[in-house]
Amino acid sequence: MRRIIAQTRKELTQIVRDWRTMLLAIILPLILLMLLGSAISLSVTDMPIVVQDLDDSPSSRELIDAFRASLTLRVISWPTNKQPEEALSSSTARAALIIPAHFERNLKRGVDSPVQLIVDAADANTARLTAAYASQIIAAHSGTTNLVQQPVRAAIRLWYNPDRSSKKFYGPGIFVLALSIFPPLLAALAMAKEEDQKTILQVYVSNIAAAEFLFGKVLAFMVVALGEAAVMLVLLFTYFGLGFAGDPTPFVVATILYAFCVASFGTMIGATISNQAAAMQAVALGGFLFVFLLSGLLYPIENIPASIRWLSHLVWGRYYIEIVRDAFLQGGGWPAVWLKELIIGVIGTVFFFLAWLNKRRMQVRA
Amino acid sequence: MLHRLFKKISGSRVSALFRKELNQIRRDRRLAMSLVLPPILQLTLFGFALSAKVENIQLGIVDESQSKESRDLIAVLTESRSFASAGYYFSVDQLDQEISRGSLIAGVVIPSDFARDLQRGRPTTVQFLLNATNANSAAISQGYAQAVIQNYNQRLQTEGIQPAFHRASGQLPQGRISLHPAFLYNPGLKDSWFITTGVLGLLLILNSSIVASGAMVKEREAGTIEQLLMSPAGTTEIIVAKIAPLFLLLTMMMFLAIIMIKTVFGVPFHGGLLPVIGGGALCVLAGIGIGTAVATFSKSAQQALLTGFFINPPLVSLSGALNPVEAMPNWLQPLTVINPIHHFGVIARGSMLKGSGLETLWPNFLALSIITLVLLSLSVWRFRKQLS
Repeated sequence: MRRIIAQTRKELTQIVRDWRTMLLAIILPLILLMLLGSAISLSVTDMPIVVQDLDDSPSSRELIDAFRASLTLRVISWPTNKQPEEALSSSTARAALIIPAHFERNLKRGVDSPVQLIVDAADANTARLTAAYASQIIAAHSGTTNLVQQPVRAAIRLWYNPDRSSKKFYGPGIFVLALSIFPPLLAALAMAKEEDQKTILQVYVSNIAAAEFLFGKVLAFMVVALGEAAVMLVLLFTYFGLGFAGDPTPFVVATILYAFCVASFGTMIGATISNQAAAMQAVALGGFLFVFLLSGLLYPIENIPASIRWLSHLVWGRYYIEIVRDAFLQGGGWPAVWLKELIIGVIGTVFFFLAWLNKRRMQVRA
Repeated sequence: MLHRLFKKISGSRVSALFRKELNQIRRDRRLAMSLVLPPILQLTLFGFALSAKVENIQLGIVDESQSKESRDLIAVLTESRSFASAGYYFSVDQLDQEISRGSLIAGVVIPSDFARDLQRGRPTTVQFLLNATNANSAAISQGYAQAVIQNYNQRLQTEGIQPAFHRASGQLPQGRISLHPAFLYNPGLKDSWFITTGVLGLLLILNSSIVASGAMVKEREAGTIEQLLMSPAGTTEIIVAKIAPLFLLLTMMMFLAIIMIKTVFGVPFHGGLLPVIGGGALCVLAGIGIGTAVATFSKSAQQALLTGFFINPPLVSLSGALNPVEAMPNWLQPLTVINPIHHFGVIARGSMLKGSGLETLWPNFLALSIITLVLLSLSVWRFRKQLS
């Protein structure tokens, strides 16, 4: 035990002495969380939309007013003699609403009046959103002006995130991403450095066992990870306006387990790849690409084609993201997340075991 | 005459250095891999894995009405591809629990007086519960729910339920406004078209900068930079000879990526290849500029890579390559103006998907050229300072 703690202390001292790694460890996660957490959002607000009113009647103007009142769409006037497609191809607007002539007459006669919405679908998701917003505006508008009541109305309740704030969804995701990149990166670098600079030979001749040596390292980077988590949590609670939705103990336990998991991952990479630059690229691939793409951080996992979706079951960040989102938004507590915590622990143990397998002989490979 | 010119070029110091660089690159297997692997891996992973479409939303149903009408509504709900029935529940509490455990994304509650109200011509309300943790899918599912209910209302009208309402309200019938969305440029709503056109710029800038910083820092790490300095070649010649082969190789990578985008994802090239290639070449140069500048600030390949960690995330997140710029907070949006990935994204999407030409894309070309010029001159200046 004493040897493990000594190893941990040595590791932490090394980190504190190098300003580059210190910056990497503390400042960069914060910047990343700040930037990505608020910049990566898919919900467009204030979307420019062009309206072409070929009817120019009280009814059509009422409909345009309904669009104007919306917060998500911003109406830009567009002359009737210009093609609405021009507004889309020049990117002045994301969509064009065209109200046909005889719009009001049709309405008064009791005939359905179609209005057309041309959407710039170069960005498919934004196009879907625009269409959804427009149909909601029209539904609400018909509800208020139409004298005939709709027989069935939909009352939609949005749970856990009623104002549909993207920041609250992506903030926790980026928190996980930062924890998946930086601690393992530092751990892999520290481990590869020992080999690179041959200081590992000193470890080989000392009386420390492989498991103790590795665990000392993992412990040090767990401390780093937990420190980063604490700093980032402050930002999540203040800037992102998040709070625990329920019992915080699952989150605390999961964070400790995840710190172990990522520190072991980094140590394992460092133990297998002794070139520092190559180790760094391996961590970047594992930490960034996999956690970013296959964990449901940005887009739902269900949309990944089945042929590569199974990979996401192996991505450790996926389980932690679900736990973190549950802790901050849903508050499902232990019954919802116990299995995921277990899986994180198992994956971490496997990483640690692989690192140990590589280093257990504690001797120079010939 | 032409022969003499050729001889003059091939015998010059620049071309000798150029050949030296090319040979060095050719012998470096890892470099060759890093030119082929990332475009293939990143384009396929990003293109296939990132999709925001919302369909088959797992819908839990509480049917308190248990009538012909309610079963009708459930059928309308679940026969669309938007919602998929994930089972019936007996009470709202049960539904609540399933949603909070995350096994359901949405729930619908049909009240017990649903059928009675409809028959008596009274309006009735169906409650939808949506897990809105994912703000984006929540907004889209909200639209779906709204549309399905409208659909159902129209169906009622054709079945003759609606007249009962007119009688009840004592008013003349009035027509309904129906929305007909038409999706321009990407009628199939393929997310991959948006993602791959964005990732192309990402790929060009990031890989160019990584490859360039690796190549530049190598000379310093190995100590061979002294030998270069001792040679009769001037600094300009050294720099040109260093950048030109990298540029050549990276443009080859660009063609590989473009071929993949065309064949694997079937993205159309409405505006022709020229604007994309022109913009792409500028991006490669900008990437080389970033890489060289980074290399001059670092002593080893490891340090150069670490510095990349400070530059790349903001470059990616503020580019609009993976998400629309309009969705960013207002205080961050102006920063995209100095981001080459952003301008290339606008050019690639405008030209490939919309078929717009220079007359609409010129501001982006101009901005991209200025950024490239600034980055290149910065890196040349730094490099030169280092050499002397």
